[in-house]
Amino acid sequence: MQRILYLIQKEFRQILREPAFLGLIFGAPLIQVLILGFAITTDVKNVPMIMVDQDHSQMSNRLVEAFSNTKSFHFLGQVGTAKEAVHLLDRNKIKLAVVIPPHFERDLKTGRQPRVQLLADGVDGNSAGVALSYANQIALKLQKQWFPRLPHAPGTVKEIHLTGIEARMLYNPSLESVNNIVPGILAVLVMLITSFLTGMTIVREKEIGTLEQLMVTPIRRGELILGKVIPLIIVGLLLFTIAIISAGLVFGLWMKGNILTLYGMSLLFMMTTLGMGIFASTLARNQQQSMFITWFLGIFAILLSGFFIPIENMPRVIQWITYLNPVRYFMIVIREIYLKGTALHYLWKEALEMTVFGGAMLTMATLRFHKRVG
Amino acid sequence: MSQIQNSNTADTVPMEDDTMAVSVRELTRNFGKFTAVDRVSFSVQKGEIFGFLGANGAGKTTTIRMLCGLLLPTSGQASIAGFNVYTEAEQIKMHIGYMSQRFSLYEDLTVRENIQFYGGVYGLSRKQIKEKTRELLDYLNLWDQANKLTADLPLGWKQRMALSTTLLHDPQIIFLDEPTSGVDPVSRRNFWLLIYKLAARGKTVFVTTHYMDEAEYCNRLSIMRFGKIVEIGPPGELKAKYHARTMQDVFMNIEHREER
Amino acid sequence: MNRILLSIIRKEFHHILRDPQTLVIIIIQPIIMLFLYGYAITLDMKQIEIAITDYSKTPQSRQLIHQIESTSFFKVTAFDIPERGFDRLFKERKARCALIIPSDFARSLHSKQNTKIQLLVDASDPNAANYIYKYLLQINARFTFKNNPHLVQPFLMEPRILYNPDLKAHNFFVPGLIAIIMLLISSLLTSIAIVREKERGTMEQILVSPVRPLQILVGKVIPYILIAFLDGVLIVALGHLWFRVPIIGSGLFLAATLILYVLTGLSFGLLVSTITDSQRMAMLTTLMATILPTIMLSGFIFPVASMPKIFQYLSITIPATHFLEIIRGIMLKGNGLADLTRQVLFLFGISFFLLLLSVKKFRTTLE
Ligand SMILES: Nc1ncnc2c1ncn2[C@@H]1O[C@H](COP(=O)(O)OP(=O)(O)OP(=O)(O)O)[C@@H](O)[C@H]1O
Ligand SMILES: [Mg+2]
Repeated sequence: MQRILYLIQKEFRQILREPAFLGLIFGAPLIQVLILGFAITTDVKNVPMIMVDQDHSQMSNRLVEAFSNTKSFHFLGQVGTAKEAVHLLDRNKIKLAVVIPPHFERDLKTGRQPRVQLLADGVDGNSAGVALSYANQIALKLQKQWFPRLPHAPGTVKEIHLTGIEARMLYNPSLESVNNIVPGILAVLVMLITSFLTGMTIVREKEIGTLEQLMVTPIRRGELILGKVIPLIIVGLLLFTIAIISAGLVFGLWMKGNILTLYGMSLLFMMTTLGMGIFASTLARNQQQSMFITWFLGIFAILLSGFFIPIENMPRVIQWITYLNPVRYFMIVIREIYLKGTALHYLWKEALEMTVFGGAMLTMATLRFHKRVG
Repeated sequence: MSQIQNSNTADTVPMEDDTMAVSVRELTRNFGKFTAVDRVSFSVQKGEIFGFLGANGAGKTTTIRMLCGLLLPTSGQASIAGFNVYTEAEQIKMHIGYMSQRFSLYEDLTVRENIQFYGGVYGLSRKQIKEKTRELLDYLNLWDQANKLTADLPLGWKQRMALSTTLLHDPQIIFLDEPTSGVDPVSRRNFWLLIYKLAARGKTVFVTTHYMDEAEYCNRLSIMRFGKIVEIGPPGELKAKYHARTMQDVFMNIEHREER
Repeated sequence: MNRILLSIIRKEFHHILRDPQTLVIIIIQPIIMLFLYGYAITLDMKQIEIAITDYSKTPQSRQLIHQIESTSFFKVTAFDIPERGFDRLFKERKARCALIIPSDFARSLHSKQNTKIQLLVDASDPNAANYIYKYLLQINARFTFKNNPHLVQPFLMEPRILYNPDLKAHNFFVPGLIAIIMLLISSLLTSIAIVREKERGTMEQILVSPVRPLQILVGKVIPYILIAFLDGVLIVALGHLWFRVPIIGSGLFLAATLILYVLTGLSFGLLVSTITDSQRMAMLTTLMATILPTIMLSGFIFPVASMPKIFQYLSITIPATHFLEIIRGIMLKGNGLADLTRQVLFLFGISFFLLLLSVKKFRTTLE
């Protein structure tokens, strides 16, 4: 036990002695929380668009007005022909063009159902779909208003029975994507930093030669690993705390659930990431390799965690793969605790899975980590 | 600390002759198809300064690593301080000091912190560490540098410090792998004075070197070539055998003979 | 001059080719990434778990439910859960949304002008919540039209989707992935090219030889340009042949811009390499400063136009932002140089600036 304390002390001395590195491991995550939290909006808004009004009537004007006054669209003005609009689409200046046909008003009033064309840039299929549905909504409002003007309308208006949907958005009523992204960033940070650092601090000693020196001491393998890992757990938790506080101060996003549950869970999660780091260190001969290995594993772990691509959207086979990804579970846990305040007894399954993973990973890594050089 | 030593003495009985610090029989290590150490046999007595010579790549470091329990032998037997390298590697580590060919101190820790750390790792108590630190700093005359980063010390001092830290737990056998490479003549002399002192206190010193003047200081020498031990004996005997005035000549002689 | 440069280039090639780990990074990782990401990233949602509580239990309500069930978007996982059970349902993640059909549903469909159906959505993923809401609106609209034969729309909205008519996610993500992977390779590899030599002390050795700093930099960059370019060609070919992403524009133009883009990534890596002292710092800096922001801010996944204004400006400084427009433009829209002049100029500007800076920094570190 006492020997572990000396290892920990040494580890901290080394960390504190390299200010640039310290700055990087604490500063960079902060910046990431800020930048990513502000920048990532999965909402589609300000879609650049133009209108082509070939009618210039009162009603077509109303339609143009309706499009120019929303947050969803960034209205860039009007051009004369659909051809010009396509040219703008070609050059990436706009993503959507609304083309109002000639005689729009006349056709409408005579019940001939004029067709308004929506030219959308389909390259980003997701955004295109959303933009089209925005456009349809704007149109729907006018369609409702104008319905009574149809020639046969007066007789039928009474027989129209509409159904409407009254939606209540729970847990995140303002639908801000920050609320979903920031907890995700926290999870990713914990994972990246702890696994990176673990791998690198061990491999660095390998490179310098001090690891060989440690191996001839009577220190036990478990002690050696604990001595390496405990300082990183402390650094990881500290970093986690700083990120939590800054997310709270900057985005006003504080967790709804129990803070102790969250910390407990993050400890369970760290078992895996630390194990991963140790594992990488047993494979790697130098720091560069260890970084590559952890980065390689990390990038897949993040992708398949549901951080920004919901797992439900993925193909079946890949969904199965995600079950092998511990970040997936922590991602669920941290979001649940942050946004819904979900209590531990709804999360025991995730906790169990993380424990099993962490245990397995640590055991495997420890078994691979010999007190021998060859 | 006490608990560790007790556990070692209680249940493990030395398996060989008590006067032998190291005894090695037919020790072999392969790396893939390549045989780095090839059926070497020798023994080192307690209190002896045993020198290990050989060209680069002869297999010196590999042998030492096997003796320290850092590397499993492919075949053969070796016991260190009576402990088997296969089964009792951890007990061995309690009884040996090892200074690797690469530098073994933390350059980003201060002198004092290094001593503290290695003392702690060997299970010394806080009080013992304090005493040892004082003793070492006195001895190395490093009081002015105690709080300086190890990286800033001259190489000669670093090496002496490295040796001293491997002695913190008072080991019986000390393995030194090229401890003096790159060190100036005066520092090298100082270093060897230290080795002599250790031997005088009954420690066994196992040292590899490329300096022939250092070879002369050893009680006994073994010369390795391509993983095999080709000569073993006191420097005087070897010189007589090869009709040479210096160890340098002996060494050159052997290398030439083998080439033919 | 040429011989010196050649020997540096040759040496650099040996470094790269002798290190199996690096080779894996260069060849295997991009392919795996392309496949995994290519298949994993689809933003179309399906099989959303929905709970339905039907208080009405009439043919009309069943008709609505049938419409919901018949889509692949929704999967009904719970029926007739009492309202107080919803919170639990959401916390156990058994359902993402719940639809409550009121008991007077059928009656009011005949008497009232407007009938409300209640929808509860777990909005912790706001994107998904939005989708769910929008999708139900569509179902509802269909339902309404079916029940109101007299309802005629005064005018119609007729979407025409250009460039990617089937809205295939691959067509969007594969070119994006190419941009990301190229950046990863080019910047990460070069970021350590110089620090490594500094750490090992071989840089001193090179510096005492009669080589000029510029020669060292150029000599270091050329092999990486070649390798990264070949890598790019490999990935584009895979994307085209396997994922069937069209290349409508000129392949030659694409190749030229690829080289330009690789150069930008390399110059950034070089800059990092000249200003850092250890490989560890160099790699962390590269990761933190380039790769993550690039993934997040370049428009790879999240449209730049939706970001706050400052980030839109920030994204201009990111090479990938421009390259994404270029590669998507060439592959999907058939853009030529005339359409992409601005983006190409930006890439030129950025790489020139970075190279200048690293040459300057490199000089000063020598003294
Ligand atoms: N882990 C290893 N894997 C493969 N080969 C190795 C390994 N370690 C050592 N060798 C090879 O074994 C041979 C002996 O190496 P060793 O380090 O023991 O030589 P040495 O006598 O200490 O040389 P030097 O004087 O250069 O220190 C060398 O050819 C070396 O390349
Ligand atoms: Mg050696």
